[in-house]
Amino acid sequence: MHAFIQGLILGLLTAGVYALMASGQTLIFGIMNVINLAQGAMVILSAYISYQLFKSFGIDPFLAIPIVTVGMFVIGVAVQLLFLRPLKREDRAELSLLVTFAIALLIEGIMSITWKTNYRSINTSYANSSWTVFGYQITLVRLWACVLSLVALGLLYVLLNKTRFGRAVRATVQNPESARLLGVESDRVAALGFGLGSATAAAAGSVYGLLYAFYPGSHYDLISLLLSIVVLGGLGSIGGAMVGAVVVSTSSAIVASTISPAWSAMTFFVILIVVLVVRPRGLFGSTARGAI
Amino acid sequence: MTDLKQLRRSLAVLGGIGVVAVVVAGCASSSGGGSSKSNSKGPLVIGASVSLTGDFSDSGKAVKRGYDLWASTVNANGGVLGRKVQMKIVDDASSTTQVVTNYQNLINKDHVNLTFGPFSTLLTIPASRVAKRYGYAFLAPAGGGPDVFKQNLDNFFFVQPAPTTQSGNVFANWILSLPAADQPKTAAYAELDDPFSAPIAESLRAKFEAAGIRTVYKQVYPAETQDLSPVMAALVAKKPDMIIGGTQSNDAYAQVKSLVQLKYSPKFMYQSNGANDPLNYPDKVGAKNTEGIMSAADWFPGSTAVGSAAFTAAYIKAYGGTAQQVDDSSAEAYSVGQLIEAVAKKTGKIDNATIIKSLHSGTWQTLLGSLSWSANGSPSGEFNLVQWQKSALVPVFPTTIAKATPQHPKPNWGG
Repeated sequence: MHAFIQGLILGLLTAGVYALMASGQTLIFGIMNVINLAQGAMVILSAYISYQLFKSFGIDPFLAIPIVTVGMFVIGVAVQLLFLRPLKREDRAELSLLVTFAIALLIEGIMSITWKTNYRSINTSYANSSWTVFGYQITLVRLWACVLSLVALGLLYVLLNKTRFGRAVRATVQNPESARLLGVESDRVAALGFGLGSATAAAAGSVYGLLYAFYPGSHYDLISLLLSIVVLGGLGSIGGAMVGAVVVSTSSAIVASTISPAWSAMTFFVILIVVLVVRPRGLFGSTARGAI
Repeated sequence: MTDLKQLRRSLAVLGGIGVVAVVVAGCASSSGGGSSKSNSKGPLVIGASVSLTGDFSDSGKAVKRGYDLWASTVNANGGVLGRKVQMKIVDDASSTTQVVTNYQNLINKDHVNLTFGPFSTLLTIPASRVAKRYGYAFLAPAGGGPDVFKQNLDNFFFVQPAPTTQSGNVFANWILSLPAADQPKTAAYAELDDPFSAPIAESLRAKFEAAGIRTVYKQVYPAETQDLSPVMAALVAKKPDMIIGGTQSNDAYAQVKSLVQLKYSPKFMYQSNGANDPLNYPDKVGAKNTEGIMSAADWFPGSTAVGSAAFTAAYIKAYGGTAQQVDDSSAEAYSVGQLIEAVAKKTGKIDNATIIKSLHSGTWQTLLGSLSWSANGSPSGEFNLVQWQKSALVPVFPTTIAKATPQHPKPNWGG
């Protein structure tokens, strides 16, 4: 029972980080109908930038998040303008898979040249700290990561629901043609939306570097995880991404701690298949666009 | 009709490709093992596939450093039988398919004179088969899991004191040499699903269970497991006296970090690999958390084995750092070169057949001590038990090589 509850705690705390990564993925799909296979690479790139800021200037990874976020936002906008905007609108959904995978490989190559291929990890003075609550360990980094993720997701919610930009995004998501007729510059919204999706990778990447050792090829494991989360939650739904992240993270952690880590991935995929059989659009997916 | 013509044309083209392939393969196989004879006055070209990227890249790079260092040292002394050594090292990205392609290219395309082994059992198995096919001696500085020796290849030599699965024996010998009151009563095993890692832990488990040390937890985790916290949480719930990690590198770091976070420090902790890497281990787990952790090593700073002092000095000169930071994978790779030199010196020849025949008899001195092999390439010595004490990795057992007394119980984590 102790292992089960400790696994549940670990799963819930890690879910926040997964949700943050996946929210960018689902946001980009919602706005542009693009499945961004480079999201995992962007998370790892953010982890490397955070690592470098910590190593060279002693900047704490949590404090580095605003700097990394701005950097990743700019990179995201540039990627959209340079690689995705030139695609024809009718071919964008299919071709974007190839283009974003190529971007992922490009980012991986740049990381390999810049930081080599050794495993890196960010070891702050508090990286291994934890609190004991009723005999269970609450890892400080995971707790802060979870809180940070909830704050970031809250800000994303405010941005999408309470601002003019957010209304433009939601209008573009729900009906791009009508939005354009009403004066929304959909190309601009798409670029900013892709930048925003990349910016969520920044916060997630900084935290990822604190939790796990990483190397340039780490993004392959991440992207399959992120795609599973957004498909489970429903493509285009940020709420769905959060629920998907909780399901993935807790089921993996509980199965790993009580049965075997060899079964944890399989257990999750069984859940995913059952959900997709019963509800092909995912938990919170909508038949119409606009689940955001 | 047009389709039939196209079909005939396609078959003709395929037939042509087949003929060319047979001719090329024939040329290639005839040039393989005999290339050293046909080019006996030129440089001695030695090919090796090493993991410079991917899962084994930390250790792979250490192997490369060892090969390169031996080549530059031997060249500075006039080469092997007057021939300058030229290393041709290619990256296999820790991939079992790439390693096969690499050795086929090294032998058939680059016509290297000799081949040295890659890192890990996973890659050594397919690589040694390629070498056997072309009659090349295959000296491997790493990759001594049981499956390697089951191949019964006469061209294979594992250049370490003992097969990998037996590397933990020295830890078992030490534990069982302690007074009964000091011995652990319970043990937990967390093992990476890898032919190099899990068998070591399993070998220890068999010995400890036979000695009455109760197993309270055992888990094998897949190589792709990113987060080991749930596994370690389940292990900690059993409160074992002793934790045995059948580890490589990244999972060894993750085990320690999880245990520190879970605030559980066992009385004894042994990790099969990772903890014996003086360069990366303190950086990844935090120097304060290394204290008391044990591992096995075949080479250590201050060793009095043949060429050890010269190797250490040359290593520091070439790569910087201190003797404490020399990875034993580099020493193992360097020893492979020492053996080639020794065979050349003893026989006056340096072809693959001579190397294979020579190494199958007698005892050979290297940085790792005296080495000898059985017919399947399995070495017959024993590893040394090393322990982290005051941020340095020191040999503690057997007493003949010990430079400090083994510290137990393991101190608490530094945080």
